[in-house]
Amino acid sequence: MASVRKSGGDNLLVRYIILVSWAMVCLVPILWFLTIGFRPRTEIIVPEPIYWPTWSLDAWRLLVSDWPIALYLRNSILAVAGSVVIDLVLAIPAAFALARYEFKGREDIGFYILSTRMMAPAIVAVPIFFLFKNIGLLDSVWALMLIYAAINLSLVTWIIRSYMLDIPKELEDAARTDGAGDLTILWEIMIPACLPGIITAAVIAAIFAINEFLFTLLIASTSKAYTMSVALANFTGGSDGVIYNAIALVSFIAFAPILILVILIQKHLSRGLTMGAVKG
Amino acid sequence: MASILLKNVVKSFGSFVGVQDMNLDVVDEEFLVLLGPSGCGKTTTMRMIAGLEHPTEGEIRIGDALMNDIDARDRDVAMVFQGYALYPNMSIYENIRFPLRMRQVPKAKHDDLIRRAAEMVELGPFLDRKPGALSGGQRQRAALARAIVRQPQVFLMDEPLSNLDAKLRASMRVQIKHMQRELKVTTVYVTHDQIEAMTLADRIVIMNKGVIQQIGTPDDIYSNPANTFVAGFIGSPPMNLIAGTAQNGTFSSAGIRVPCPANLSGNITLGIRPEDCQIGGDNLQGQVYGVEPTGDITYLTVRTANKNIEIKAGREFRAPIDSAIAVGFDTSRLYFFGEDGYRVGVN
Ligand SMILES: Nc1ncnc2c1ncn2[C@@H]1O[C@H](COP(=O)(O)OP(=O)(O)O)[C@@H](O)[C@H]1O
Ligand SMILES: [Mg+2]
Repeated sequence: MASVRKSGGDNLLVRYIILVSWAMVCLVPILWFLTIGFRPRTEIIVPEPIYWPTWSLDAWRLLVSDWPIALYLRNSILAVAGSVVIDLVLAIPAAFALARYEFKGREDIGFYILSTRMMAPAIVAVPIFFLFKNIGLLDSVWALMLIYAAINLSLVTWIIRSYMLDIPKELEDAARTDGAGDLTILWEIMIPACLPGIITAAVIAAIFAINEFLFTLLIASTSKAYTMSVALANFTGGSDGVIYNAIALVSFIAFAPILILVILIQKHLSRGLTMGAVKG
Repeated sequence: MASILLKNVVKSFGSFVGVQDMNLDVVDEEFLVLLGPSGCGKTTTMRMIAGLEHPTEGEIRIGDALMNDIDARDRDVAMVFQGYALYPNMSIYENIRFPLRMRQVPKAKHDDLIRRAAEMVELGPFLDRKPGALSGGQRQRAALARAIVRQPQVFLMDEPLSNLDAKLRASMRVQIKHMQRELKVTTVYVTHDQIEAMTLADRIVIMNKGVIQQIGTPDDIYSNPANTFVAGFIGSPPMNLIAGTAQNGTFSSAGIRVPCPANLSGNITLGIRPEDCQIGGDNLQGQVYGVEPTGDITYLTVRTANKNIEIKAGREFRAPIDSAIAVGFDTSRLYFFGEDGYRVGVN
């Protein structure tokens, strides 16, 4: 660092140019997409480029009046948030046990849990459909919540476990000699100490869940349980043809919650992703 | 406040034996130091006393109670860990409070106890900080405060000073000793630093490869080492150990001749401390290898055909390198060790 600073402003300028260019490459498609959503329909598909588009809220008005977007958003948020909560409640104690307790077949169980992630989802699609049909949970947000939780549980457990492995064992030993039991150690020592990992796992699970398509399509047979991902796929803008500006707007709305989430926790996330990556 | 008893304690990790057949009796209010090189089983011994590790064989008692099946949380033992093990998410105040909460000490007493413990280690102004915002020495004292806050029966300290710089280590050493005297809590202290051991201990236990080599007061261990391991471990520089042969009341090695007990013969190792040698004499002939003045003492290294011998010379002593030198030994302070490394020829 020091040597870079010493070598003067030129170097810094070059760095900024590179970084800003890269940021543009990443951001421009998203921003461009967003502008489509706020342009009139007549300006979306035209033979000549339009450099100074007119702004309009047509697409937004169309959405609000013709399309139950609030319901879909609510479904998405409920199913995703619920699934993440279920995952954390189940994964944190499991991760603690896998990271700290010595028991027979510990490594095998750990790997077995992860291996459920490697299976192609289509294999279990049909059994899952009948399972939920039999328990009467078809077309329900609760079913989606359970399915998302099940899909992500292994990954969440694995990420949190690798975090817990990085917490010095001394910390736990100290708590034990201070008189703490297992639950206290988990609650007061381990969870705060690996909070970045837990947040990372939760965000990754939320991203997977919000993008989940196959099972949602299977379970949500009417628009009652549609989430943004499925509703988006079915959305063409209404009865008079494909309305691209409305589609763009919906896509952006679907994408916004994750964006906000990631921005809020990005400090934890970058650390969490690399840590989870290097640890087995 | 309690005594600690280890009886035939063995700890194996698979086929590797970390601690072998250990017998140890720590007296009430004693300051006992476990001393030995890295990997000799000191931490393992301490963790067994704390209940963090279960002995493979043998008995561990604290007070009169058998501890083998008692969980760490139910033993009234406080431990200071080598890495301090402060809870990173809690303030220093909460760190010190943690054992009080866990042991159901009435809430009304907490503040008083915490402040008194913090006072004792001069940590008062830092109670609101998180461990991450403290220096190494302050963290160390925070860990001490957490251990002393609830007057346990036993203190266990695992190399608590090893991460500090030399100056801080010296002042913390005095502080720890003073604190232990004041609190009168039986203490087991682990270190690989012989100076720490000598200055702190009522008694020292020297370990090597999982086996106790000698137990005794610092004086005892210094002046009566049981074997070559102890002799070579204690003292700075440690005792010179010179291999040679004994015959008819004379020990000889290349360049060295000293009288020895008449009953010794065969392969013998001679031990002589650097401060028991003086310039001029007829016990050792060699060449000056190095002269290191330090101010109050000059360290002299003399080369013989077999070995370099360390000598503490007077502060004025100087000599050119490779010049011939004759050294005399204080023959009342010679040590002889047999082929098994144990002391021989003691009346
Ligand atoms: N959990 C363990 N599993 C296997 N070997 C261990 C374990 N704990 C300690 N050891 C071994 O036991 C020996 C003694 O370790 P330790 O008590 O930590 O030494 P010290 O504290 O004296 O440096 C070392 O060789 C170490 O590798
Ligand atoms: Mg150790």
